[in-house]
Amino acid sequence: MNACDEIVVKTLRYLDNDLHGQELEDFRAHLQSCDDCRDHLESEKALSLTLHRSRPLYSAPATLRDRVSALAIQRSVPESHGIFGKRLADALRRILSWRILVPATVVLALCLALVPNIERNVQAASYVATAAATHRSYLAANLQPGLQSNSPEAITAWFSGKVPFEFQLPAAQSTPGENPVYRLTGGTLVDYKGSPAALVTYETEKDKISLLVDSSRSAVVAGGDEVRSGKLTFHYFNYSGFRVITWTNHGLAYALVSSVSGPAGASCLVCHQNMADRSNFQTLP
Amino acid sequence: MNLAPVNGELRQTLDFGEYLDGLYGYAMVLSRNSAEAEDLVQETCLRALRGMNGLRSNDSAKSWLFTILRNIWLNQLRQRRTVPELIELDADGSGASEPADSRQDPHADYLSEVDREQVRAAIQQLPVEFREIIVLREYEELSYQEIAALLQCPPGTVMSRLARARSKLRELLAARSKSSQSHEKGANRAEA
Repeated sequence: MNACDEIVVKTLRYLDNDLHGQELEDFRAHLQSCDDCRDHLESEKALSLTLHRSRPLYSAPATLRDRVSALAIQRSVPESHGIFGKRLADALRRILSWRILVPATVVLALCLALVPNIERNVQAASYVATAAATHRSYLAANLQPGLQSNSPEAITAWFSGKVPFEFQLPAAQSTPGENPVYRLTGGTLVDYKGSPAALVTYETEKDKISLLVDSSRSAVVAGGDEVRSGKLTFHYFNYSGFRVITWTNHGLAYALVSSVSGPAGASCLVCHQNMADRSNFQTLP
Repeated sequence: MNLAPVNGELRQTLDFGEYLDGLYGYAMVLSRNSAEAEDLVQETCLRALRGMNGLRSNDSAKSWLFTILRNIWLNQLRQRRTVPELIELDADGSGASEPADSRQDPHADYLSEVDREQVRAAIQQLPVEFREIIVLREYEELSYQEIAALLQCPPGTVMSRLARARSKLRELLAARSKSSQSHEKGANRAEA
């Protein structure tokens, strides 16, 4: 290896301030007497600067942040859950600077409920996170164009053949003489786990509402505050500033997202107050 | 981002932004596919959460996470039993990721994004062993020792591979720069 070859090898160490003593002096002395090696050093410096300016090379998409956040929720372990739990919580903080700021007793109760079906709950949280992220896109008008219509039949027909499941949007059953509080505005396709899912959009006077629909074979519904109504079990979440309600029925998984707050029955009645089925929701907590 | 469960609420309380961009960037240069990269990062986080108690206090959490991600990727390649099915990005790298950090000056922001796209496109043209070493060293600033442990090779190999990767990257960037300059000249001539 001649002197120039050695300089090329040492250039990166020089840029990392990793050359010292005689080695550093020899490096500098060679540069003074060799134009090629000086040029090489300058080009390496220029490359380092270019790479530094291009940071970060990629930024994690919001959907990924939501998905990972959902995982973290499901895997949280309270400090009071034995020595193992404490170590895990400590490691969480140490590794990712994640801070658990909620009362340990509440976390313990939730985690004890989650542990037996952790994988199922991870998937369920993923569906909630996707529904919320999709709703955020709906509010920002960032969804791909679909069908704008207030006709349930037209929207049902539009989805036919576009989603890998049978989906029929029911007609609103208003109490005679009264109009529904919400109105159907359209539908579009969104991606969930690499296949198309249906997104139906509604509006009230003050709020926008979206309903994510997918086959319950790919979308899992679980967790949250559970409320039973007839044969259905609704799961209530406050997620990322939204109220998300999930349930399954006839092989389909639904996630309804809005900004409506309040307890389960009250939030359902916001939309169903003038509907024929309102009595179903008046009995909810 | 911060997260914790409270009585059915998914409340944000966990901060991981420092690692998530880096993990996603590493996954992007390994897979060259955004959907696959997202899945890799999600699986990495899931396994990290499962294996948290195995992490020794003197371990580097960052290189530990990157090692998990790389192992998942390698396992996926083995399962496919073929050469990785790499879906090439567009030549200009568009659509590869969300916009990076925002700045005060929109013009500076635009120029920075143009530069970033050029660099991304050039890096994605490199062989995978060069792509990953560039990201691990130049963007994630892992030490040679950490990279050597991650790639399971001697530190000397890391240094020589990095030098070759940088040399190749320099060539690609120069070629892209020359190409864009000739396009500009052509456009100017057409306008004249």
